[in-house]
Amino acid sequence: MNEENDKDETPTVDERGEFDPRAAATLLAQTTRRAQRQFAFPSPLLSLIQAAALLAAYGAIWLSVRDQHPYSGPSGTALVELYGFVGVAAIAVGLDGRRARAGVSGRSSRQGWIRAIPFTAAYLAVYVLMGALRFDGFSTAIVYGIVPAVGPLIVLGAAAAGDAAAREDWQVLGFAIALIAVGAGSAFAGPSGVWGVAGVGLCALLVCSAIAKVWLRRA
Amino acid sequence: MIHVPARLRIVATLAALPDGDTLSFTRLQNMIGLTPGNLITHLRKLQDAGYLSTKKTGNGVASRTSVALSNRGRAALDTYTAALRDLLGGL
Repeated sequence: MNEENDKDETPTVDERGEFDPRAAATLLAQTTRRAQRQFAFPSPLLSLIQAAALLAAYGAIWLSVRDQHPYSGPSGTALVELYGFVGVAAIAVGLDGRRARAGVSGRSSRQGWIRAIPFTAAYLAVYVLMGALRFDGFSTAIVYGIVPAVGPLIVLGAAAAGDAAAREDWQVLGFAIALIAVGAGSAFAGPSGVWGVAGVGLCALLVCSAIAKVWLRRA
Repeated sequence: MIHVPARLRIVATLAALPDGDTLSFTRLQNMIGLTPGNLITHLRKLQDAGYLSTKKTGNGVASRTSVALSNRGRAALDTYTAALRDLLGGL
């Protein structure tokens, strides 16, 4: 325990006085809550940033395709905006992860990398599926409309649901099932409308998630 | 052992980590707000009681000390929490 040379061992002064059980209970609750908040990932703030970024990303695509009859797919500019906003969300995830995990190492860090594998595989599978559907002659509305809008939500939701169920994390399980429902339900809006409906649904879900995290912390 | 403000904060902070994770001395100090010397003294007492383990890696300025709550430490915190609940419930 001699991390730095100037850390001498000094006698502690807080062992002499009375420590009231009520004060101890308050201190324990406050310390636990503060520690959980500092280790929490993703934080409520991150959920709000993701909500805004993903609404903007899906909104950019919806604005570029909403008047298309027949559907021909998003414009190049809209795709650049989409990936720009997704990039902003990804950077926010990275920064929030660094904040929460600073100084923390051990089993959960290693498990985090392993747990990311099914999510990555599921996400990449959506693009492989799009290629296969295009190859099989499916329409642009399906290949560049419905599938890329709802596919990631359904497969990532399913992967997250399985992961959360295995860890008995009911809050994340509820979020993941809602994500699947948003993805599957928004497909009814058609190839143009799906981008708007999915974007609004995803944004609402992330905002609700942020509110739930704050509320559960205070409960 | 735990019924001391500083040690209670140390144990409660480490208990918020998932089982099997360790926390660096520097971050623990930032979170608890104790001086390095005071923190070392409390950590040593907790370590002597078998409530936590420390591990040092690297040498010189690159050295890093990490701290983890042991199973015994988690059990002690659970017992302490239950005792406080009983005591306050009876007041």
